[in-house]
Amino acid sequence: MSGASTHLQGCRIAVTGVGLVTPLGIGREDFCKNLFSGVCAIDEVRGFDTGSSPSRLAAEVRGFSPRDFISVKNLRRMDKISQMAVAAARMALEDAGVAVTPENRDRIGILLGSAFGATDITVLLAEALLSRGASYVNPILVPNTVMNAPAGHASIELGFRGVNTTVTHFGVSAENAISYAVSEIRRGRADVMLAGGVDILSKFYYEALGRFRGLSPNDEGPEGSRPFDLRRNGFIAGEGCGLICLEPWDAACARGAKIYCEISGTGLGSSPSPPTAWPGDTDGIKRVLKRALQNAAIEPADVSAIMAAANGSPTLDDTEARAYEEMFYADGHAPFVTTVKGAAGESFSGGGIRACALALSMDMNYLPPVVGLLRPLTELNFIMNESRKTTMRHAVLSGISFGGTYACLVFTNRETKEVI
Amino acid sequence: MEGRKRIVVTGLGTINAIGGSTAEFASSLKKGVCGIAPIDLFETGGFHAANGGQIRGFNSRRSIPPEFSLKRMSRADQLSFAATLEALADAELWPIPALVKENTGVAIGGGSGGLLEAESFYARLMQKGADRAKFSRLSTIFCASSTDRIASLLGLLGPKSTFMTACSAGATALGYARDLIAGGMADIMLAGGVEPMCRITYAAFNALKSIDPDVCRPFDLDRAGLSLGEAAAVMVLEPLESARRRGAKIYGEILGYGVTCDSFHMTAPDEQASGAVRAMRAALADAGRTIYDIDYINAHGTGTPVNDVTETRAIKEVFGRRAYDIPVSSTKSMHAHTLGASGALEGIVSLLALAQGFIPPTINYKKADPQCDLDYVTSGTRKAQLRTVLSNSFAFGGNNTTVIFGRCDKESVSHERG
Repeated sequence: MSGASTHLQGCRIAVTGVGLVTPLGIGREDFCKNLFSGVCAIDEVRGFDTGSSPSRLAAEVRGFSPRDFISVKNLRRMDKISQMAVAAARMALEDAGVAVTPENRDRIGILLGSAFGATDITVLLAEALLSRGASYVNPILVPNTVMNAPAGHASIELGFRGVNTTVTHFGVSAENAISYAVSEIRRGRADVMLAGGVDILSKFYYEALGRFRGLSPNDEGPEGSRPFDLRRNGFIAGEGCGLICLEPWDAACARGAKIYCEISGTGLGSSPSPPTAWPGDTDGIKRVLKRALQNAAIEPADVSAIMAAANGSPTLDDTEARAYEEMFYADGHAPFVTTVKGAAGESFSGGGIRACALALSMDMNYLPPVVGLLRPLTELNFIMNESRKTTMRHAVLSGISFGGTYACLVFTNRETKEVI
Repeated sequence: MEGRKRIVVTGLGTINAIGGSTAEFASSLKKGVCGIAPIDLFETGGFHAANGGQIRGFNSRRSIPPEFSLKRMSRADQLSFAATLEALADAELWPIPALVKENTGVAIGGGSGGLLEAESFYARLMQKGADRAKFSRLSTIFCASSTDRIASLLGLLGPKSTFMTACSAGATALGYARDLIAGGMADIMLAGGVEPMCRITYAAFNALKSIDPDVCRPFDLDRAGLSLGEAAAVMVLEPLESARRRGAKIYGEILGYGVTCDSFHMTAPDEQASGAVRAMRAALADAGRTIYDIDYINAHGTGTPVNDVTETRAIKEVFGRRAYDIPVSSTKSMHAHTLGASGALEGIVSLLALAQGFIPPTINYKKADPQCDLDYVTSGTRKAQLRTVLSNSFAFGGNNTTVIFGRCDKESVSHERG
């Protein structure tokens, strides 16, 4: 079975590095420590005034010093979102032990997902134009208003010149990006790909999330991040960047790289949906999960764990839990379910951070708990209270977005194929 | 290796400054119509330019059947949806058979999205504060909403992605859409780009002083910048076998594409043109073609002093002496630079050129630039039987995408099968 799938897909994909600028820590070690000890990064917002919003909480990136990662010359031209992406890109390459050289730089690339881009800069530009007139628009701001600016800055700072693509699709931006990066390597267009997502908090963005009634508390009850919990009442906004480094399996082995795990399958799809509504039926997510499993040539019973998309929204979490129950929970099979959003908030392109978390989990044989989950809405096998030691054969990273878009990835233990 | 599957284009749809449909666009391209004129979509006071390639006479209610609600659709959403319907009808896939919906996806290159509509939101926010601003207007500001609208209104269940590589986004979307089909992730992709004109985007280019106050003159000695335009351009992509099985007409094949990055500067191209050179070479390699196969180059050709000379240098670097034998034209001289849509719109130009046997001209050209010394097709449209066309798109951020299209008539199919 695995032989056929390998033939079909081109080549196996190894995850060889992680780069993290997140509310749960900067860099792998910091992030790991906080992730697996169940730290909650949610706190009162310090970065801006939350004004008249009923919400006060967010998961902000703190203690991030861009100068530790970015040259002074280039840093001057970067806004907040680019700083996070460039720092994470540097960390991911370093973690993978990949040095960019004149010989390999044209075969190293990035596929970056962002849901909303530089919301801070766009507002500054609109403000200058509308309040003061065209001649007050600062040309220095303009290059950073395009959504591909962070990936462009990363290529300039780090010197890689291969594939450089930015995708956006709300809550599945990062999962989409990783899926395309896998395809780039399978098709031989690149030797090393960084992939994941970046989004930032800004005053304007926070205000907008509240007005769309997404943020907790958008109903009764206290404000808080409680994925899959009966008392959930909206999500807590987050920010940050998570990137994984992908390489062909054989090349990673040949250079003696540390391999966290394999990405063995991807699935993408949609279901018709109103623009800002989370899907209420399970068909879409199940269809895309099936595509991802098929792409990896595995069965639902082979899945040991799920890194979920749930963020504390009433509809999303319910739909997702039902989908897993219908798809995976049969004949005594009960894969673990967890997510990082309870601890690190919802940043929409946080699939990059969750991909890093899942790669680290598969490497260390640990699954982090769903922070904030006390009273589960169903009887799924949720990781609660503390991390759980477990060896996973295959795990699924689920991406689900409002607007009816899905992107799922299958992560496979680095030992699994040999065992088969 | 996967990916030997051949992917062809069976339907085209566009709305732009010189065409409200693909047929009208083809006719304007052949006539050399200039769509660049004073804008009335928004106030241009305070800018040092006032011209652009604005779409005239678009009536969304006339282009989109009444069963589809236009509520909460931005101009970008409406334009891209209308172009999609045209492409589907052209491909004889309208109405879409229920079985086809399961594995049909959407890939759109975006730019300004719903920024035209958001401007009034921002204005209210700044003047009257957050409580009086209509935040619901933001639900269509982001480019992914155009992609979402297309898929949701048509009931499609396949992959859905929005590409944001600025001025190369439309071309990038075509390339990745092709890969999705080649990799078995979708059977049919609706792929293209959409860019609405809006004052905030105009202001950004105005601040960079990159707009020619007159009309853009690609490759001309006196060129002084680009002309901004707007467009939706969508095509139907499917495997050659399925197109032939259902007897669809075939405009051409997407033979390959290349995506690279300058790694040089956010807004200025690398004068060595290394990124552009590598994009063209990557596309040739992906397409399995050599420099001798390319019959026409649809240039990025924005009309800025630096782009046109750099692109010319890149073409010479890739094609060597053969560069002088290949016609190169910039149709932006007619439909203006449509940013996120341009790669897809110029993809349509390339496919029309292949299917209808012509090379569209570079108009507005008067004075030769010694540094731009290729054959820019400056004296009208030429008739030519083309086999392979290369289309360049370069962008802010140093992103470069090149797509190569090939003719796919019965003879070439049977020949290659034999």
